[in-house]
Amino acid sequence: MIRYVISRLATAVVMVLLATLVIFLIANTVPGDPAMAALGDMQASDPVQVREFRARWGLDLPLWEQYWLFLKRLAQGDLGISISSRRPVLADIIDYAPATLELATIAFLLSLAVGLPLGVVAAVKRDSWVDHLARFVALIGVSAPTFWLAFIMLAIFYGQLDWAPGPGRLDPIAFPPDRITGLLLIDTALAGDWETFRDAAAHLVLPSIVLAASTLGLITRTTRAAMLEALNQDYVRVARAKGLLARVVVTGHAVPNAMLPVVTLGGLAYANLLTGAVMTETVFGWPGLGRYTFRSAVTVDFPAIMAITAIVAAIFVLVNLLVDLSYALLDPRVARA
Amino acid sequence: MADQDEPGFGRRPLMAGAAGMLTSLLAGARPADAQSSARRGALVIGLDISDALSLDPVRVYQYSNPLPTRAAYDGLVTYDAGDNITVKPALATEWSYLPDGKTIRFKLRPGVKFASGATVTAEDVRFSFARHLAIKDQPFQYISHVESVAVVDATTVDLVLKDPTLPVISIIATPAFGIQEKSQVVANGGTDAADAKDKDKATEWLNNNSAGAGPYRLTGWQRNQQIQMVRNPHYWRGAPGYERVLIRHMSESAAQLLAIQRGDIDVAFNLIPEQIATLENDPNISIMGTPSLDFIYMAVAEAPSNPALQNKLARQAIGHAIDFDGIIKNLAGGAAVRPTSFLPVGTNGSTEALTKEIGFNEDLPKARRLLAEAGLPNGFKFQLAYGNAAIAGVTYQNLAQKIQADLARVGIVAELAPMDQVNLRTMFLGGKAEAVLTFWNPPAPENWLWTSATVNRVARRVVWDVPADMHKLVADAGAERDLAKAAVLYREYQKRMVDFAHHIVLVQPVYQVAVRKSVGGLNLTAAGWMADLAAAKPA
Repeated sequence: MIRYVISRLATAVVMVLLATLVIFLIANTVPGDPAMAALGDMQASDPVQVREFRARWGLDLPLWEQYWLFLKRLAQGDLGISISSRRPVLADIIDYAPATLELATIAFLLSLAVGLPLGVVAAVKRDSWVDHLARFVALIGVSAPTFWLAFIMLAIFYGQLDWAPGPGRLDPIAFPPDRITGLLLIDTALAGDWETFRDAAAHLVLPSIVLAASTLGLITRTTRAAMLEALNQDYVRVARAKGLLARVVVTGHAVPNAMLPVVTLGGLAYANLLTGAVMTETVFGWPGLGRYTFRSAVTVDFPAIMAITAIVAAIFVLVNLLVDLSYALLDPRVARA
Repeated sequence: MADQDEPGFGRRPLMAGAAGMLTSLLAGARPADAQSSARRGALVIGLDISDALSLDPVRVYQYSNPLPTRAAYDGLVTYDAGDNITVKPALATEWSYLPDGKTIRFKLRPGVKFASGATVTAEDVRFSFARHLAIKDQPFQYISHVESVAVVDATTVDLVLKDPTLPVISIIATPAFGIQEKSQVVANGGTDAADAKDKDKATEWLNNNSAGAGPYRLTGWQRNQQIQMVRNPHYWRGAPGYERVLIRHMSESAAQLLAIQRGDIDVAFNLIPEQIATLENDPNISIMGTPSLDFIYMAVAEAPSNPALQNKLARQAIGHAIDFDGIIKNLAGGAAVRPTSFLPVGTNGSTEALTKEIGFNEDLPKARRLLAEAGLPNGFKFQLAYGNAAIAGVTYQNLAQKIQADLARVGIVAELAPMDQVNLRTMFLGGKAEAVLTFWNPPAPENWLWTSATVNRVARRVVWDVPADMHKLVADAGAERDLAKAAVLYREYQKRMVDFAHHIVLVQPVYQVAVRKSVGGLNLTAAGWMADLAAAKPA
C-alpha cells in the first residue's frame, strides 16, 4: 500500500510538470505580448522601456531557459511575481484562494447533501414523483448555463423578493473580520463576531446554490444510475430473499456498492468547483481564484498562469489519488489486491 | 422497473429542515437596512475596480484607481467639475512662470493639513514630485520634461522644466500628482533618492493606506472586493459629508443595477444604456450624465500590405461613408457626442459644432467621388481588427458590423478581424494593423497629451510619416499659454487631422451614472477621476 502511494505520488509530480510544460508552450505561442498588456500607452510605445520590461521579467531569455527558471523557482517554493499585479503570485493566491475555497466547499457539501439522498431515493422509488423531481433537478443543474442561473437567482431572490443579500462576501458597510484564515465563516467564528458570521453565511447562500447546481445534477444522476444497477444485482435479490428489511437492503447492500462511481465523480467535481467558478464569481462579485485566473489569462501574465496551472494540476492529481485510496476503504477487494 | 415500496424512505423531514435553516439564516441577513444610521453615514460606490494595479499615486494610471486616489490626495491644482479647460487652485493658491521662462513657482495654501494632522509643507510637495521623477512609472511619462523640483521656503516650491514650451500645470491636476506626506511615506519604506526605482518599498503600504490631504483617508483595499476610506477630519475645504466611503467591486453591470435598486450601493458607475433606461422612472434614483473625454476611434494605417489605404483619398472616403448619427443613436443609446478629430468635445477648441463644420460627416456621393479620384471607383478591401470589449455599452463587435455595413454602400469591404485585447494591442502598437477599432482615454485634460501622441507614437501605429509642419503646429499649440490663441491653433490641428484621415473618431460617450437620491453634492467629472467626493453628503 505504501509503495503504491509513493509510486502514485511520483507519477503525480511528473503529471504536474507535464501540465505546466504544456501550458507554458501554449502560452508562448499566443501572439499577445505581456509587455503590451502590462505597460501603459506611453511606455509600451517606447522600445527602450519595452526592452527593459522584457529583461526585468525574463521574457527576453530563450524559451527553455525561461521554463528552467520557472522549475528552479518552483522547487524552492517561489511562484514568481505576477506581471499584472506586480506582487508575488503566492501573495495573490493567498488573497484570492480562501474566497473560492469557502464557496466551493459549501457548494460541494450542498450538492452531496441534496444529490446523494435524492439519487438514492429516485432509484429506489423509480418513476415516482421523487424520481421525476430528481431527473428534473439533474437536467436543470447540468444544462442551465451558470451565468444565466446566477442572474436569475440574483434577480429573483435579491432583486424581487429581497430574501437574500446581494453580490459580494459581506454587506458593503460591514467591517470584514481580521484575517486569520481568510475564510470568513471561520474567521468570524474565531472572533466571536456572530453578526458578521451570519452576514457572511447569508452571502454564501445564493452563489453556493448556483455553483452547486451542475455538480448536484451530476451527483444525482450518477447516484441514481449506480443505485439502479446495484439494486438489480444478485446479492440484492439474495438479501431480499433472506427477508431483510427494505431499508437494510438499500443502505447496507446497495448503497455501499453504488458509491464507488459517485466517489470518483465527487472528487473530480470538487476539484472542478475549486478551479472553475469564473462565472459564479463574476456575477456575485466574488473575489476568488476564478476571476484571478481569468484575468491572468487575458493579460498574458505568464508567472500567474504557470503558478495556477501547477496548482490546478496538483489539485486534480491529488484528488484523484485520494479518490483511488478511498476505494480501499469503500471496497475491501481493492485493499486486498 | 418499479421495485416494491421501500418503507422508511422519503419520510424524513430532511429537506424541510434544511429549508427552515436557510430561511432563518436569510431572515437575519440584512442587518443594515437602507435607512440605518450606519448606512447613511457611508457612501457606497459600485464600480469595476479589477483594472486597478496600485493605489500608490506614483503608480496610478489605470481607469478606476484615480477615483480613490483623488479622494485621498489633493494636488497643487485641480479642475472643477464641468470645466476641463481652466485649471483651478487647490493646495497651491497661485503659480507663475519666473522670468527665466522655465521655472514655475507655486505658493502653497497656508495651514492645510494632511489626514494625519501634520501641515502640508513645501518639502512634502518636493518629495512627491521627486519620488515620481525617481521611480519613473507611467505617470512620470506625462511630466518627463520636468527637470527638478526645489523648495524655496516652507510655502513656496519651484518646478523647473527641461523644455519650457511643454505644458505641465494642466497635467499635474491629475490624481497621480497628489501631494504625499513625506514623513509617512518614508516611514513606510518610501524614498525619492536616485535609486528609488528599486529601493522604494512604500507601494505595498500605500496600497492599503494613504498619506494625503484629500477629503478621505484610505484604510484598506481588498483586491477585487472593495476599497475602504474614512473621513479626513482635517480637510481644508471643510469636513466631508460621510463617515466612510466604500468602493465596492462589481464587474457585472447587471449586479450593479440590482444593488442600486435595492439600495445596497448609492452610486453605480458601470451601467449600460439599456439598464439606465430601466431606472428612469425609479423614484429613488437619479441619472447623472457627464460627457467623458474618452472616445472610440478607428485608426486607419498606411499599411504596407494594403496599397489602397496608403491613398489619403481612399481613407477620407471611409470617413465620409460612415453613418455616425446611426452609431450614436442606435449603438450608444443617444448618450454620446462626436468630436472632429483626436481632441474630445469639451477640451479647448473642440466642439460638436466644429465637427459638423469641418469633420467627417456622412456624405455618400462625396465618398464615391473620393474613391473615383483615388482611382478606386469600385472600392477596395481592408482588414478591420477589434477586441472583445465594450465601452459604455457599445461593443466593438456591433460597431465593427455597423461600419462594415455602412462602408459596403460605397463598395468598400471591411473584413472583420475580432481578437482578444492583448493580441490586438500587440499588433496595433507594432504597426502591423490595417485598421483598428480602439479607445483613447486621457491621463489629464491637456490638449497637448492628445496632439503630441497623434504625431508621435500613435502616428507610428498608423505608419504615418508626419510632415514637419504638422509637428510644428502641435508644438506651437502646446507652447501657447493663452487659451484663446491656442484654440485657434487646435482648430487648425483638427482640420489637418481630418485631411490626413488616419483617425476617425466615432463615439465620445456621455457616461451615465445612477445615483440614489439619498446622496447629494456628488460632482461627476470628465477630467479623469470620475467624481469629486469632497462635497458629497447625505441629502
